[in-house]
Amino acid sequence: MIVSRRTKEKLIIAALVALTGAAVAPLFWIIGSIVWNGISVMSLEFLTSLPAPFGSSGGGIGNAILGTLIINLFASGLGIPLGILTGIYLAEYAHDSRMGSTVRTIVESLSGVPSLVIGLFAFTLIVLSFRHYTGVAATLALGIMMIPLVAKATEESMRVVSDDLREAGMALGIPKYNITTRIVLSMAKGGVISGSLLAFARISGETAPLLFTALFSFYWPTGIDQPMATLQVLIYNYAISGFADWVAKAWGASLLLVLLVITINVAVRYLGRKKYEGA
Amino acid sequence: MNKKSIFFKDSAFKYLVGGSSLIVVAFFVMIFVMLAVRSYPSIANDPLMIFGSTWDVNSGIYGGIPAILGTLASSAIAVALAVPISLGMSVFFTEYAPRRVRAALSIVIDMLATIPSVIFGIWGLWIVAPLVKTYVQDPIVGSIGFIPLFSGPAYGLSLFLASLVLTFMIVPIISSLTISLLSTTPVELREAMISLGATRWEVVRHVALPFSKLGIFASIILALGRALGETMAVTMVIGNSFVWPFSSISLFSPASTITSKIASELYEAVDVLHVSSLVELGLILLVITLLVNSSARLVITRISRRNASG
Amino acid sequence: MATKLVTERLSAWFGKKQVLKDISIAFEERQVTALVGPSGCGKSTFIRCLNRMHELNPGARVEGKAFLDGIDIYGMDPMDVRRKIGMVFQKPNPFPNMSISDNVVAGIKLSGEKSKADLDAIVERTLKSVGLYDEVKDDLRRSGASLSGGQQQRLCIARALAMEPEVILMDEPTSALDPASTSRIEDLIRKLKSEITVIIITHNVGQAARISDKTAFLYLGELIEYNDTKEFFESPKSPITERYITGRFG
Repeated sequence: MIVSRRTKEKLIIAALVALTGAAVAPLFWIIGSIVWNGISVMSLEFLTSLPAPFGSSGGGIGNAILGTLIINLFASGLGIPLGILTGIYLAEYAHDSRMGSTVRTIVESLSGVPSLVIGLFAFTLIVLSFRHYTGVAATLALGIMMIPLVAKATEESMRVVSDDLREAGMALGIPKYNITTRIVLSMAKGGVISGSLLAFARISGETAPLLFTALFSFYWPTGIDQPMATLQVLIYNYAISGFADWVAKAWGASLLLVLLVITINVAVRYLGRKKYEGA
Repeated sequence: MNKKSIFFKDSAFKYLVGGSSLIVVAFFVMIFVMLAVRSYPSIANDPLMIFGSTWDVNSGIYGGIPAILGTLASSAIAVALAVPISLGMSVFFTEYAPRRVRAALSIVIDMLATIPSVIFGIWGLWIVAPLVKTYVQDPIVGSIGFIPLFSGPAYGLSLFLASLVLTFMIVPIISSLTISLLSTTPVELREAMISLGATRWEVVRHVALPFSKLGIFASIILALGRALGETMAVTMVIGNSFVWPFSSISLFSPASTITSKIASELYEAVDVLHVSSLVELGLILLVITLLVNSSARLVITRISRRNASG
Repeated sequence: MATKLVTERLSAWFGKKQVLKDISIAFEERQVTALVGPSGCGKSTFIRCLNRMHELNPGARVEGKAFLDGIDIYGMDPMDVRRKIGMVFQKPNPFPNMSISDNVVAGIKLSGEKSKADLDAIVERTLKSVGLYDEVKDDLRRSGASLSGGQQQRLCIARALAMEPEVILMDEPTSALDPASTSRIEDLIRKLKSEITVIIITHNVGQAARISDKTAFLYLGELIEYNDTKEFFESPKSPITERYITGRFG
C-alpha cells in the first residue's frame, strides 16, 4: 500500500490525538462521575453528623471528615519538621560527604516504598506490639510518607538560592546557622510551603496505611490512640459494601476528598505563579 | 561567652539537621527490620510455604504465588498498555499541540497524578466495571472464549479490569517525564533532520525518541514500581480471589495481588501464621519495589553522567 | 602612617594548584590600596585569605602569616576577622527577602548576639555616609533587590560599613556598574579612607590611578611591584608592570 508521506503524517496525528484522548479522558470521566453521584448526597447533615445505625438511611460522615483532619495534622507535625530539617541538611551540610549521599539515597528510596508497606511497618511496630488499633500508628505511617516529599522540595528550593548570598552572609561574619535559616531558608520559603501543602494533599488520599492502623469507627474520634474514621477508609468500606445508601455516601465522601486535594494543588500552582510575576 | 554561645548554637543546629536525617535513615532501616521480624513465624514454620500455590486461611496454608504473580502480571499489563498511550500523548504534546492545548494538557496530567487511589477504585468499581463487563469482557468471551486467556466466566472484577485502572494511574508518570525529555532534545539535532525535509513525525521518530530512549526507559521502570505497590484501586476491582492463575488463566477471572491480599485480610487476621504470612508478602513486595526503583535510579544516573560529559 | 594589615609570605592553594606565592605586603592605615593585575592572577584569592573566606572552599589551603594590628589573623576566631575586615563583592548581592533597612543591619541582627544598638540610627547614619539615604528614605521597607545596580552596590557597602570594620576589601566593586554609578562609588571611596583602610581590586588601571594612594601589581600569583600610586604609574620598576599599565596585555 503506497501512502504518501502527507497522508501518513495525517494518520499519525489522528492516532496521537486518539491516544492523548485516552490518556486524558479518565480525569474528566472520574470528576464527572464524582460530581454527578456525589452532589445529590451533599447536605449539612451529611457533613456534620455521625453515621446512622446500620440499615437506616440518613446520618453523615462528620466523624470521617474530622478524623482525616486530625490524622493529617498529627502526621504533618511529624513529617513536615523532619522533612524540612532533612532537606536543610541535604542542601547545606551534606556536600560530597559519605553520610550525605547515603541520606540522599535513602530519602529517595523511601519515596519509592509503597504506602501499604509503610502502613505495614506502623502496624507491626505499634498495633501488633500493643495489640490495639490506634490512630498513632496511622500518624506515624503518613508522617513517614511526607518526609521525602517535603525534604526534596526543601532541598531543591534551597539549592536554587544563589551562592552570592551565602558569601555575603559569611563576609559579614554571620554564623552558619543564621545564614542557613534567616537568609537561605527564608528565600526558599515558597518552595518549602508548596512542598508541605502538596505532601498534605498526598497523604489525604492515602488509604492503604490506614486500613490496619486507624481502622475505622462509627463514632466521633475520642483520642488519637483509638481507631478513627477517615474519609479515605470510609470511601473504601462503603463503596465495596454494596448497600445503596452507603455507596451513595461513598460518592459524597469522594467528592469532598477530591475537592480537598484539587483545591490544595490549584492553590500551590497559583502561589507558584504569583511568585514569578511578583519577582 | 558570646563566642562560645555562637559556637554552641552552630553545633547544635548542625546536630539537629544531621540528627533528623539519621532519624529518617533509621525509619527506613526499621521498616525492613520490623517486617523481617514479624514475618519470622511464617519463615520459621516453613520457609517455602509462601511460595506455594494455594492460600487457604482455614487450613493454615499460605501460598502466595498467585498473589505475587498477580502483582507482576497486572503491573506488566498496565505498563504495556500505558506506554503507547503515554508516548502518544507526549509526542502530541511536544510536537503538535498548540500552546493553549499544551497548557490545558499539563494541568490535566498534574491533576490525574494527584487523584487518590481510592477514588480510582470507586470509579473503577462502580462506573468502569459494569461497562467493561458488558462491552468488552462479555463480547470477547462470547467470541474467542475458547482461548484460555480469554475464557469465561467473566465476572466484572478481574485481572484485566485491575490492569486497566492501573494503566490510567501510571500514564501521568510516564507522560510527564517523557514530555520533559522530548522537549530537551538538542535543537541542532532537530534542525539537522528538518533541513533534510523531514516531517514532524519523522523528526520525532528518528531524532527525539531515540535521543530520549534511556530516560523514557527509566520513567517506565518508575511507573512499574508505582504499579507494583498500588493498593486501593487494585483491591477494589480485582476480585481478591485465588482463581487466577491456577484454576483459570483467563484475564477475565478474578485474581489477587500482594497488595490486595494484605489490604483485604490483614485487619481480620488473628492467627499468628496468617498475620506473619501477610507480613512476609509485604516484605517480598518491599524487596521487589526497591529493586525496581533502584534500577530506575541507576539508569537515570547513567543518563546524567552521559549528559554531563557529552 | 601606621601599618594596619601585614602579610608575610602568604601562599594559597586550590587543591594541588598554587595560586598565591609568598606574598609579603604591608597595607597602610586609612589609605586606599589598589590591587591590579590580569584576571585569574590570584587577586580575589588574596583578599579572601585576608578575611578568611578562602579556607571555606573545599580543598583550599593557606600558608604564611597575616596580621591585623599585629594580631595573627589565623589565630583569631574567623567570624571576628570577618567583622573587622569587611568585604564588598563584584556583583551587588543585597538580600532580596529583606528590606533596605534590614539589609543594612543584617550583619548586626544576625550575628547571633543580642545587640542593644539603636538599629534605626545605624541605618540612617550608614545610608547617609554612602550617599543613599536621600534616595531611599521614603520607603526603607522596600526589598533590597528593588534598587538599581548602583544603588544596590552602595547598599552593600553600607551593609559592610554598619559592622564598623577597620578594613574594607572591595573585589572589583564597580565593574558591573554603569559609569555614573562608578564615579559615585569612587567618590565614596575617597571619602571613606579618612575613617577606614580600603583595599580595592580593580581591573581598570584608570580607576586605580584615580582613587588609590598605593598600588600593588599581582601577576601569576606573585607580587611584582608595590609602590605609591604616582610613582607606580609614572615610573614602574618592573618591565612586566610597564607592559600591563600600557595595556600590552590585560
